[in-house]
Amino acid sequence: MRYSTFNQNQVNPLHEPMFFGNPVNVARYDQQKHAIFEKLIEKQISFFWRPEEVDVSRDRVDFQGLTDSEKHIFISNLKYQTLLDSVQGRSPNVAFLPIVSIPELETWIETWSFFETIHSRSYTHILRNLFTDPSEVFEDIVINTEIQKRANDISKYYDDLIFYTQLAQTLGEGEWEIDGVKHVVNLRELKKRLFLCMNSVNALEAIRFYVSFACTFAFAERDLMEGNSKIIRLIARDENLHLVSTQQILNLWQYGKDDPEMQEIAEELRDEARNIFMSAVAQEKEWAHYLFRNGSMIGLNEEMLCQYVEYIANMRMEALGFDAPFEQRSNPLPWMNKYLVSDNVQVAPQEAEITSYLVGQIDSEVSVADLGDFEL
Amino acid sequence: MADSYKVTVNGQHQLTVEPSEQTTLLEVMEQAGLKPHYHCRNGFCGACRVQLIQGEVSYLTDPLAFIRPGDCLACCCTPISDVEIKQ
Ligand SMILES: [Fe+2]
Ligand SMILES: [Fe+2]
Repeated sequence: MRYSTFNQNQVNPLHEPMFFGNPVNVARYDQQKHAIFEKLIEKQISFFWRPEEVDVSRDRVDFQGLTDSEKHIFISNLKYQTLLDSVQGRSPNVAFLPIVSIPELETWIETWSFFETIHSRSYTHILRNLFTDPSEVFEDIVINTEIQKRANDISKYYDDLIFYTQLAQTLGEGEWEIDGVKHVVNLRELKKRLFLCMNSVNALEAIRFYVSFACTFAFAERDLMEGNSKIIRLIARDENLHLVSTQQILNLWQYGKDDPEMQEIAEELRDEARNIFMSAVAQEKEWAHYLFRNGSMIGLNEEMLCQYVEYIANMRMEALGFDAPFEQRSNPLPWMNKYLVSDNVQVAPQEAEITSYLVGQIDSEVSVADLGDFEL
Repeated sequence: MADSYKVTVNGQHQLTVEPSEQTTLLEVMEQAGLKPHYHCRNGFCGACRVQLIQGEVSYLTDPLAFIRPGDCLACCCTPISDVEIKQ
């Protein structure tokens, strides 16, 4: 089943499963098998933003005033988020586009991944402002062992699905030996890998950002690094949408509203799906430990962060029909909510309380003299 | 005009909603001093999910989060009968 960029066969996308049916041919949205993806596309596009519109210039002064342990927290989180969005800016495209079978989901995947590239570009925007040369920060992302551990877990399910899809689409079904390793390729095996991968992506979007978000918003609570906080609020809003899309896919499978074989697989691999989530939770707690190894920051410590991870994890697992695994039922960081409310970030740029948001094309530091002969 | 609807939360709190005001279940709980879960308050994150044990709700904004059977999204729905919810 070789991939074609324009499948010449007449297919009815209303009868196709989300994945592993026929490749999509006509990009049409007048009829939809799963209308939710078209709604997600519309919502995501309505959230469009450019990092350059957020004025981060005041953060440089704030950053210089942070303690060394706070600087470690701030920069480590940016590194981790850079890793996450590096992966997400490409992997949904590379892994899912060759196997997707309905146009509204295909376009959702592309829209989703495109927004992750905005996130990636925003980290460069933040770091360029803080450092004359941010190379050292970026270069550490592939060397730092704490980040490496996470990179491995995040990418392995994608890589496995991509590799098996490549085998299936070039060699077809069968048993293939590649570099001395045997691989059994059939549709069931492919679908299992897709299921595990989707769970891993779901866990990424569901909880992997939240330790970092909490630190960012804890700085903002002290009126520090507010430019960064504005960007992270926009990112958090996007991530929520991404999460909802993976929850939709997993629930559609689970409830037998798409491919019946995926419903079987969802049941068969339920424990594995749970383990993927629980190991992401454990890694996030370890990350909190790493962040605070040189000391805490005002308003936040390792224990509170771990409680918050558990609180969020309960919510996310219940959304997939798992029992809540943790005791933590109340929100240990209630101030987080005001940064996660979507309305707060949609306020028109000219409104006073958010002066540094969307300063537009003019730099906040530009003086009248800089405008030269310009007639005001 | 219908009388106000009763909202029972976790089997212990008895709240009321005026049908004409289209108050969301989330707001009803907050006004009563409860601390319901929420993030986006716009139906697209699913953080406000509650179990709808009895009764019916209607959505004021089109929710994007998956609503599993027996659940509702408190941030964007209003009761259209007496309801019993659990969070
Ligand atoms: Fe992202
Ligand atoms: Fe994302």
